[in-house]
Amino acid sequence: MPSRNAPGQETAAMIALLIANSLALASLLIMLSSGLALIYGLRDVINFGHGAIYMLGAYLGYTIALVGGFWLALLLVPILLAIVGIAFEYLALRPLQRRSHIEVALVTLGLGIILGQIIIYFYGGEARSVDAPKILSGSVTILHLSYPVYRLFLIVTGLGSCALLALWLRWTASGLYVRAVSQDPSVARMMGINADRLSLLVTSLSTAFAGIAGVLAGPYLSVDPGMDVVMIVNCLIIVVIGGTGSIGGAIIAALLFGFVQVAGSVFLPNLAALVPYILLMVVLLIAPGGIGRGRVLS
Amino acid sequence: MSNGTMTDDLHASATATGGGALPRVSLGIVVGLIGLGAGAVVPTYFASDFMLRLGSEGLLLGLLALSVAFLMNQAGLVALGAASIYGGAGYLFAIGMSDWGLTPTAALCVAFLILLAYSAMLGALIVRTNPLAFMMLTLAAGEMISHAVLLEGLRDYTGGADGLVVRTTGTVLGIDAVRFADPAQFWSLAWVVTVLVGLAFWAIARSRLGAVLRAIRENEERMRFSGFNTFLPRLIGYVVVNIAAAIAGFLHVLNAGFVSPESLGLFVSTNTLVAALIGGISGSLGPILGGLIFSFAQDEFGARGAHAASDRCCDRRVHCRVPAWCRRRAVGPVEAARLAAGGILTCSRSKSCR
Repeated sequence: MPSRNAPGQETAAMIALLIANSLALASLLIMLSSGLALIYGLRDVINFGHGAIYMLGAYLGYTIALVGGFWLALLLVPILLAIVGIAFEYLALRPLQRRSHIEVALVTLGLGIILGQIIIYFYGGEARSVDAPKILSGSVTILHLSYPVYRLFLIVTGLGSCALLALWLRWTASGLYVRAVSQDPSVARMMGINADRLSLLVTSLSTAFAGIAGVLAGPYLSVDPGMDVVMIVNCLIIVVIGGTGSIGGAIIAALLFGFVQVAGSVFLPNLAALVPYILLMVVLLIAPGGIGRGRVLS
Repeated sequence: MSNGTMTDDLHASATATGGGALPRVSLGIVVGLIGLGAGAVVPTYFASDFMLRLGSEGLLLGLLALSVAFLMNQAGLVALGAASIYGGAGYLFAIGMSDWGLTPTAALCVAFLILLAYSAMLGALIVRTNPLAFMMLTLAAGEMISHAVLLEGLRDYTGGADGLVVRTTGTVLGIDAVRFADPAQFWSLAWVVTVLVGLAFWAIARSRLGAVLRAIRENEERMRFSGFNTFLPRLIGYVVVNIAAAIAGFLHVLNAGFVSPESLGLFVSTNTLVAALIGGISGSLGPILGGLIFSFAQDEFGARGAHAASDRCCDRRVHCRVPAWCRRRAVGPVEAARLAAGGILTCSRSKSCR
């Protein structure tokens, strides 16, 4: 005979599992969308190639993990992608500094497609899987709930990097400069802030974050040719929900998106794929500027 | 466009009579009609079936590119969801016939009305946003539709990942369905439809709606202060371009007899955008030429065993060279030809090139 509080415990366990899985997914999305919001805040550019950079990170992570293991991949890929970010800044963003937003967005979209095709050319069309390191494999029991260690690591890494980003923006001089430039570039320049150098820092940071997300996604999701499109669309939804240019909004939106996506797959399995889009429409109807009151409305 | 020019443009469009240019207009109509007839008939005598099929694909892509280019040039908005309307038209037409038991003509009309309602509703939601957000939202809406057709619950209707075979019998809008499958006859039909849609866009661009759209693109706040409704013209513009995309989708499904999730995919939307940029966005002819160039170029690369590379080369050429073209005040071969003509036909510099 089951105990009286068994159904209550079951419900609590299910809610806890739901929240944990939401956080795991949101962690990846936070890393990606905050990078996207950072570039937008500073450069007024939506980098449509961000998904392809994430995919590059995932495939590079897969390759390095095969040779030197997961930890080496997690260490090297962000460095390599920061270099890619520097190249992206010099080759794409700076030459187009005086061009319209739409033009730059189209260029990043084109570069993203090219990068995606290059990756497919070298790696082929089949999905790859990356094994989690031994220390992160298996499960732990928390509050009578068995949960994979790797997902916990994902949550800690995602939320930790998000906290570091927030601390950097809030408490460091360079973070203050980034906020100043994103609020009023001309006044910030008059105050002697080197916006180009800051932009270089932010772009490389953004691509490094995308790289970390790519490596972490390997054992959690799968490494496949369609991952760039899926992730960039998700990130764009998050950025719009959060309010373009608002990092705080992007973080809240990513958490909301993660929860809705996971809850949707549990309670509405037949409509799970559409739930994020429904959320987007609902938010746009209620708050057209997004949660963070970004610059969505003209 | 300066504020003065903008006002002049609006004033001219509101007061234009066109009576003084009658001989030139008559000559233009005659030349246009000859061109329309020759384009529809001549290739069917000289080109092979394969080339005609390729040309028809190019025309349909050009039609899609025309819709994207019109919105870019007139309203300064980039729609990345053209494929959702293009593929959606095919799906709705197929579902209308197979599941709702409608005749081809009725299925076409019902599908068209559904797409019109969808465009109006989506447009009402997203045209108020800034151009960048608009671009992102059209991409998201397009992806939503492409995910929707793959839902297990809709598999009986959409065929899931396998798509749907569309067997059209009888007549469609008075045209025998068999004619859509014949390469020569379909080329003629696609040519006429594309030219007519191109002319319609050309006329809209020169109408009051076009002038208002351009003025809103230049300075929405000023237009609002001047007492103009800035929401409705953009919504009408968005619905109009989706009508063109739907026409392309209907023609495609009638010709191919098949519709699959690929026709709703992001690659169709990006190829459309690339075709528009190849041809140039500031007129009706450019995007259509862009579609044809893209289609033949893709086949050329494919014949040399680098099918996927062709798209990417086009993407690289276009996306990386657009800024340079813009600096030279040309966005494509049509504009380049205009410039080469020594300014006989002036190239109006589009907003996206500033």
